[in-house]
Amino acid sequence: MFRAHMSVTRIWQLIEKRMMSCISVHGKLPGLQRAVGEVRRKSSFRQSPLLTATPVRALIDEQISIKGRFLSQNYPVTVCAQMHSEEGDLWEAFAHYTTNASSSINLTSDHSVGGSYVGCEPMGLFWALEPALGSREGLRLRKRNVETPYMVNISLLEGHTSPSEGQRTELAAVTTERWYMAPGVRRIEIRQNNIVGTLFLPPGPGPFPAMLDLWGMVGGLLEYRSALFASRGFASLSVAYMGHKDLPGPQHIMSVGDSYFKSAFQLLQDHCQVDADRIGVIGLSYGVVPTLRIATTIGFKPSCLICINGAVGSPLLDEDGKSKMFESDQKHWEFDDRGYVSFRNVSLPDNLPPESKRKVENITCPLMYIVGEDDLCTASTENADVIEEALRSAGKSHQFTRLSYPGAGHLIEPPYTPCSRASLWKTKPEKLFTLWGGHPAPHAAAQEDAWKRILEFMETHLRR
Amino acid sequence: MSVLRCFSFSRGALWCVTRPHLQECTPTSRRLLSAMTQVVPPILSVTPCRALVDEKFKVLVENLPPGCPVTVRSLHHSEDKDDWEAYGHYVSDHSGVVSVSEDLSYGGTYTGKEPMGLLWSMRPVPGSRPGLRLRKMNVCTPMLVTISVHSGHEGFRDQAPLASVLTERWYMAPGIRRININEQGVQGTLFIPPGPGPFPGLLDMWGGGGGLLESRAALLASHGYVSLALDYLGFDQESENLEFKYFETAFNIIKDHPQVMPDRVGIFGLSLGSLVAVTLAAYSTIVKPCCIVCISCNHYYPARGSTVTSKFEGVTRQLSKARVNEDNQVIWKDVALEFITDPSNIAEVGRINCPTLLVNGCDDQNWPTVETAEDVARLMREAGKEHLLSRLAYPDTGHLIEPPFSPHFRATTFVMRSSKEKVILLWGGQTKPHSDAQEDSWRKILSFLQFHLYCGPNLKAKI
Repeated sequence: MFRAHMSVTRIWQLIEKRMMSCISVHGKLPGLQRAVGEVRRKSSFRQSPLLTATPVRALIDEQISIKGRFLSQNYPVTVCAQMHSEEGDLWEAFAHYTTNASSSINLTSDHSVGGSYVGCEPMGLFWALEPALGSREGLRLRKRNVETPYMVNISLLEGHTSPSEGQRTELAAVTTERWYMAPGVRRIEIRQNNIVGTLFLPPGPGPFPAMLDLWGMVGGLLEYRSALFASRGFASLSVAYMGHKDLPGPQHIMSVGDSYFKSAFQLLQDHCQVDADRIGVIGLSYGVVPTLRIATTIGFKPSCLICINGAVGSPLLDEDGKSKMFESDQKHWEFDDRGYVSFRNVSLPDNLPPESKRKVENITCPLMYIVGEDDLCTASTENADVIEEALRSAGKSHQFTRLSYPGAGHLIEPPYTPCSRASLWKTKPEKLFTLWGGHPAPHAAAQEDAWKRILEFMETHLRR
Repeated sequence: MSVLRCFSFSRGALWCVTRPHLQECTPTSRRLLSAMTQVVPPILSVTPCRALVDEKFKVLVENLPPGCPVTVRSLHHSEDKDDWEAYGHYVSDHSGVVSVSEDLSYGGTYTGKEPMGLLWSMRPVPGSRPGLRLRKMNVCTPMLVTISVHSGHEGFRDQAPLASVLTERWYMAPGIRRININEQGVQGTLFIPPGPGPFPGLLDMWGGGGGLLESRAALLASHGYVSLALDYLGFDQESENLEFKYFETAFNIIKDHPQVMPDRVGIFGLSLGSLVAVTLAAYSTIVKPCCIVCISCNHYYPARGSTVTSKFEGVTRQLSKARVNEDNQVIWKDVALEFITDPSNIAEVGRINCPTLLVNGCDDQNWPTVETAEDVARLMREAGKEHLLSRLAYPDTGHLIEPPFSPHFRATTFVMRSSKEKVILLWGGQTKPHSDAQEDSWRKILSFLQFHLYCGPNLKAKI
C-alpha cells in the first residue's frame, strides 16, 4: 500500500516536471484516480486550489468574475454552480475548462469546451442553470421573497465531469449571494385604493422617476423586476391584476378594469417621493394590454412605455378592460406532440377582434417594443409590425424603438437568470404545460442586451 | 419634445424648469414646492453596493449642473452608538459628473484624488466623546455606511442631502463558517472558508487592548485561510514551563483540523500579539509556524514572570511612569525604549526559523517598534537568518496598522488592565500616511501569506 503511494507520487513528480501533456492521460487511468486524491490530502505535495468570485455579493444584473488559481498546468476542471429555489428544487449548471500555463482559469476570458454552455460566457453558470436530474417537470425560477438573496454555491471539480456523475473530487468552492434589492431600498406593501401591489423606493430623499410594472396572465404579484429598478434609482410599483388572493372576484379571470390601472398610476403620481412627470410603464406578455390601454384609453400621459412580447389587443376584454376566462376560447390553441400548448395564434393580429386593438397612433410618448423571435406564447413579431405600421402612418416613427432577438423566447426577464422553454400552466382539471419558446444561449444574450437597453431607455426618457 | 432648462445657482437651491405642462399642477403642498424648486436630483451610485471591507468602491454623482460645487459625505452609526463621518468637497465637470475615484477633493476630511477617502478619513462627528475607536465586534453583519451628496461646500450639513445611498461593508464573505472555540482551555473564534479544503491556517492575535476582535480573522478567512481569532489576555497559567501551553494548544487546534494543511499554518500578531508570534517561533518546541506576520512588533521578553499576560501586566505597571503630553495623552514609547535596551530582556529572535514579515509605523508613539524592528533585523542577521526576514516601515504611521480603509486613530481611550484606570493612549500617525500604510501593507501581507501558505514549496513534505 505504501509502495503504491510512493510510486503514484513519483509518477506525479515526473508528470509535473516533464510530461505536461500526460496529465490528461493520467487522469483517465482508472486505478490512479482515487489514489492521487489521497496523496494530495496526506502529504500536501500539491498546492491547495483557490476559487474566488468577485463581487461575492452582487445584484442579479451585475457580472461576477470567477477565477480559480493554484491548480496544475493544462489541467481539466469542471466549474459547477448549484442553488436551491424557494420551492426547494435544486438547479445546476456546469462547464468544462482547461487551466492555462499559469495554472489558473478565469471565466471572463476562458472558453468552456462542454457542459451547460460552450464558449466564453462569464455568466454562463447563472443563465444556464437547469433543474437537476429527477426534478419535477415544467419548473420556472422566480423569486418571491426579494428581501433575501439567492445563495449560489460554485465549486471546482477535478476533471471533466457533470454534477450527476457519482465520483467527483471537489477541489475548491465559493458561495455567492445574488440580490434583487440593493441595501437601503425600501419595500412597501400597497393595499389601498383597492390596489394590490408592492412599491419599491430607492434610498435617498428623491423625488425619483418611477415605473409601473405589469406582468402577465400567470398572475400573482412578481416583485423582482421592480426591486431591481429601485436598486437602479427608479421608484417602481408592481401591481397584481389577476390570480391574487387579495383581488376581488375569482382568481382565474381579470376582475379589475381600467379604473384599477388608473388608481395605480395615480398612486405613483401622488407619492411625495415620486416625480409625477416622470412615470413610465413596463408590461410583459399580457401586461402589454393594460400598458397600451393606460397610454391610449385611460388618458394618462406616461413618459415612456416598454412592451415585451405582448399584443395590441385581446379577445377577452370587455369595454371596461375586464376579461373573460382565458380558457373559454381555445380554438387557436396549438398542441405539440408532448401535449404542450402554444398560445401564439391567439394573439395573431388577424385573430384579435378589431375593437380590442388599441389605437397606438394616439400614443404621445416614446415606446420601446421588445420581440423574442422564438416566442411561442404571443405573436410578438406580428404585433410589433402592427404597432410599427400604425405609428409610421401617424408620422410618429421617431417615437418607436424595436428590439428583436433571434432565438429568444417569451419570458425576457432581468439578465443572468435561466430561460424556461416550457413550464406548468395549470394543474386542474389536468396538468397542462405551456410553451414559452427560446433557446438558452440566445435567450440569455437577449436578456442581457434588453436589460441594458431598457435601463438606458428609462434613463433617457425619465431622468435626463 | 422641447425642453427648457435654465440654471441659476444660489446658495442651496437649484432651479430647473422642464416642461410647459408643469403649470397645470394642482395646489397640493408637494406640487407647489416642486413647481417652485423643480429639481432633477443628481444620480448617486456606489459600485459595488455590497463589498468586503478591503475592496474598493466607485462613488459617482451624475446629472448635476456643470461646475456645481457639492459635498460628498459618508456617515456610519457604530455599534457603540457613535456617529462617524467623512466628507470631501468637489466641483462637477462640464458634463455634470463628480467621480470620487477620479476627481480631486478640495477640502473636507481629505483632499486630493482619494477614491476611498470617504472611509479612511472618517472621524467622530463634532460633539462626540473623545478618544473613540471604531471596531466591529459582530462580524456576521455588515458595516452600514450612508453616502450622500449635498449642495455647496460651506455649511453643507444645514440642508437635506440631494441624494443618498446605502452601502454595506462586510468582514465575512458568504459561506464562511464561524465557530466558537472553547476546548482544551482555549477560547476564541474559528473562521472556515467554504469548500472542501484543505486550507492553510492562521493563528490571529490582537494586542493588549482587551476583548476578542474577530474582524481580521474573518477577513483572512474571506481570503481563503482557516483563521482562529484567539482570546488570550486574562488566561493565567501556573507553571513557567507551560508558559506557551495556551498558544501551542491553540495552534494545534488549527493544525489538527481536518480541513487544514498541517504544515501550512502561520501566526499573525499585532502589538502584544506579535510578541506571542515571535516567542512561539523562537522558543516553542511544539509548534513550528510556516511563517509569521508581526505588525508593530514587540520583542520585550524579560526572563521573570511566567505567562504573557503576567508579563504584560508587569510592563503596564512600569509604564504607569510614562510621560503624558500636553493633550493629556499617554506616551509609552520612551519608557518602553529603556526596557528593551537591556539585551537580557529581549526574545532571542535569532532562533526563528520561518519567514517573518515585520510591519511598523515610524511615528509609533505607543511602542518603540522602529528600534525593535532594527534590533530584530540585527539579531537575525547575526544568526544567519536574515534571508527569512522582510520588513515594511511606513513614515508618519502609528501603532494600530489595521486592514485598509478603516479610520485612523491617533489616540484613543484605553483601560489599564491592572488599575482599571481609563487613560488616553497616544498611538501616533497622521491620517493620510497612516491610511496609505494600511492599504499598502495589507496588500503586501496578503501577498506574503499567499506566497508562503498557498504556493510556496513545501520543504517538509515526507514521501
